[in-house]
Amino acid sequence: MSLLTDKNVPAREDRVTACIAYGGSACGFGKKDKPCLSNQERGFSQSGLCQLLPTLGMLLTLPDTAIVIHGAIGCASTGFGGNIGIRLRHLQRGIVNAKDTVWVSTNLTEVEVVHGGEAKLERVIYEVYKNIKPKSIIVLQTCAPSIIGDDLAGVIDKVREKLDIPVAASTCEGFKTKVWATGYDVAFHAIVHGFIEKDKEGRPAKKNGRVEGQRPIVNIINLASVGKPDEDEITRILNAIGIDVLIGPNFASRETIRKMTQADLTVSVCPTHDDYFVDYLYQEYGIPYVLKDMPIGIENTNQWLLDIANKTGLRKEAEKFIEKETARAYKSVEQFAHILNGKKVFLSAGEFRALVTGSLFQELGLQIVGVNAYHHDGFGDEYYDKLVDSQGGKDFVVDIANFQPFELTNMLKKIKPDLFIGHVGDNIWAAKLGIPVVTIFRIFDYYIGYRGFYEVAKKAARILRNPAFNVKLSQNIKLPYKKEWYEENPFKYIKSGSDEESSVIGSDFNFKTLEGVI
Amino acid sequence: MSEYIERPRYQCALGGALVTITALDRFIPIVHSAPGCASSAEGAASTGSGYWGSTYCNGRATPSSNTLEKEIIFGGEERLKEQIETTLSIIDGDLFAVITGCMTDIIGDDVRAVVNDFKKAGKPIIVAETGGFKGNSSKGYDFILEAIFTQYTEKGLEKNPRLVNIFGLIPSQDVFWRGNLIELKRLLNELGLQVNTFFTPSDIVEDLKTASKASLNIVFSDIHGIVAAKVFEETHGTPFITVPLPIGPTATKEFLEEVGEKFEICSKKVQELIQKENAWYYSFVQSIGDIYNDIDLQRHAIIVGDSNYSFSLTRFVEEELGWIPAYVAVTDMLDNNEKEKVKSRFDLIPEDLRPKIIFETNTSEIVSRVLADLKNTDSVYGDLPITPAFVLGSTLDRTLAVDVNAGFLSVTFPVTNRVVTDQGYAGYKGGLRLTTDIFSVLLGNR
Repeated sequence: MSLLTDKNVPAREDRVTACIAYGGSACGFGKKDKPCLSNQERGFSQSGLCQLLPTLGMLLTLPDTAIVIHGAIGCASTGFGGNIGIRLRHLQRGIVNAKDTVWVSTNLTEVEVVHGGEAKLERVIYEVYKNIKPKSIIVLQTCAPSIIGDDLAGVIDKVREKLDIPVAASTCEGFKTKVWATGYDVAFHAIVHGFIEKDKEGRPAKKNGRVEGQRPIVNIINLASVGKPDEDEITRILNAIGIDVLIGPNFASRETIRKMTQADLTVSVCPTHDDYFVDYLYQEYGIPYVLKDMPIGIENTNQWLLDIANKTGLRKEAEKFIEKETARAYKSVEQFAHILNGKKVFLSAGEFRALVTGSLFQELGLQIVGVNAYHHDGFGDEYYDKLVDSQGGKDFVVDIANFQPFELTNMLKKIKPDLFIGHVGDNIWAAKLGIPVVTIFRIFDYYIGYRGFYEVAKKAARILRNPAFNVKLSQNIKLPYKKEWYEENPFKYIKSGSDEESSVIGSDFNFKTLEGVI
Repeated sequence: MSEYIERPRYQCALGGALVTITALDRFIPIVHSAPGCASSAEGAASTGSGYWGSTYCNGRATPSSNTLEKEIIFGGEERLKEQIETTLSIIDGDLFAVITGCMTDIIGDDVRAVVNDFKKAGKPIIVAETGGFKGNSSKGYDFILEAIFTQYTEKGLEKNPRLVNIFGLIPSQDVFWRGNLIELKRLLNELGLQVNTFFTPSDIVEDLKTASKASLNIVFSDIHGIVAAKVFEETHGTPFITVPLPIGPTATKEFLEEVGEKFEICSKKVQELIQKENAWYYSFVQSIGDIYNDIDLQRHAIIVGDSNYSFSLTRFVEEELGWIPAYVAVTDMLDNNEKEKVKSRFDLIPEDLRPKIIFETNTSEIVSRVLADLKNTDSVYGDLPITPAFVLGSTLDRTLAVDVNAGFLSVTFPVTNRVVTDQGYAGYKGGLRLTTDIFSVLLGNR
């Protein structure tokens, strides 16, 4: 199994035994049985995401690329939401009237459900080529054509012969995986096969190593959610120790993507986002990588930078830089200590991001009382115990959930944290309970590195100063759950999916332990 | 005309049904589909209608069976049954609706049988098969209304000669549905009628149950809700009329007169209301008279929107603002009959001011068709014949406004560059609001 040889991208539950349903203690969670966890599911569920949405989110960032969504019209209905972020990114770069990304739906109807949609898809690709004149086309396969058996690969092969631009395919049917992060793999798969492997010019040749004395060039795998301030901070840090950076493949042109095969090192800022692509660059181009930490919080940033420095022979430069930056960053946040110190924080986001952000808040003197992570895989294993140890053995609750705000609301009502750090879409549930919210990413803000440490502290202190909006909101809205629900264990509906008899892992967390913590 | 739909300005049938349900508090959807369907539809609606956001039980809180490959292979009925049971035990609602997605419709889950068992047990639950491939939001709006009227609305209730139901404004697809419904209700109340609007934050589920008491259904659309209104008539014997969404005093006057006649309301009463509202409208509009004339606020108009707004906005800018309608793009997916219906509305615009009408779903093609047409009209000085121009459209049409150097206000779905709460553009209050919003854009740099 690898990005190069996989015809269809495997689901994360198969590739990395990811799990989406666990509720319980953080202590020892990383050591629990992965296959058993992976089988757990819910008897009540609320809408999650499907893998198409992150796939689309990433691919829409590619300039001059037209996205063809092969399916019913609704699968293409959220494109403009993704486009908002892309437009704002262009504005950050000073491009005021940038062209909007174009996405189209093949508008699969009852006719195609009965007779097949391949012919229509093929016609649509030619029409898009002719009318929109993109520099590349990527087709996304959705549930409906997949179930009726449309041969996407066949259509793509045929079209590739006739068109002079890269054409790539993404199989991202929503029903094929419960872990939407699979969609990142799907997008990387399309990018690699479209712009590198099956490109008209063929794949670039492997580079013959770095010439002695030359500055190393490092790939930074970006995310659609990392804004320009963060890219600038990463660039500043790496430039300072003597490294040049190449940022992609999001927002990158075909040329930049192909150049990524020529780097000396690949650096991930989010391992769970990037591992499939990073592994490809290593397997096929021998590019070593750093795929362990996320440069969020001081210790994580330092460790991340040292890993990079060790791989590029720049350890001394890094140590010197780290010493100076660490002292400066800690000094910069002293002014916020009286507001932040001792507060209880609950975090909710993709697993790795939630955990490393937990570290950041611990460094600012806060105590973690809960983490809601969208899925769990091996990248997070060591972090849970590490975070518990860092706060003197104080346990916290972990909910692995593809959103599921009914569990989140239940937990927050019991725990009553002082501060909620959440992903877009989660924040409202804390807001409706009157809890101050720091959104976990916003492309206009610094979040990564030393500057990010300071800016997050500054923002949290500001938000804590006046939570009136959320407090008033909580006093004047109604939540949709019955009163009895709040008396229940939030993990009541998590069950073992494989065998009715086997017991559920977790669900044993004693919320009383969090009562009265300061 | 391309076969594809570029940057769709609507959701699928499932999405249309879903937002119609969640627009009414305590009306709870149970989506039987893959994990992303509800999020995708809700994401579009909550962002695209001026940040409607999360209300009572929508967005990420939407109950959904999140069907996966296992259910596709072995059938999803058991999973649906479990999801209904658990939803009923956790969620505090007055009415529940199971709606389905592509995959569950294609594999043929017998959702009606599953739901019927709950109905027999006395649970307030209905079902609609809303697979996305069956059409767009407009279809979904019809599907869910049809399900409500045939499965929930009580039959055989005595008619209330003064009660009307309002349909045709799809929640979120009409970004201003709440404000519009509130204003339409206010005006009809003034005529002495009682009104069910169903989908504003102040409405209750009970109104859907007793909607059959109404003596008339008013559908503010030639396209949306027509099928549902027919079903209503067949099921409950209430006739319907279709009228365009009235924006501003002239259109609203006509609308009030038509309804007045239907209900045989004393014409003196109707005229008194019209005079009162008109006087109120002009007591404010007169203030704009100076600036309108002093700096010349007349514009050529380009209107981009669905079949409801494309006509109503054109009529408003022509009739009330004294503008010159240049182009109108109707972005709904329409068959030829429907196109004729929409087109014939424009006969009301005086011939010399009638705009060119483009039926086009695709944003890029709207731009290229307008630009291509403009190329045919060379000027010695190289200016565009439609300068000065103004675009009323969706946020997606901002680039068109840039291309023709026009002012721009987002009015039609999706609207992502401003917040919409209780604003509406219907009626007298709406007309004044629209006037205010448009001229505020034009004065934005002062």
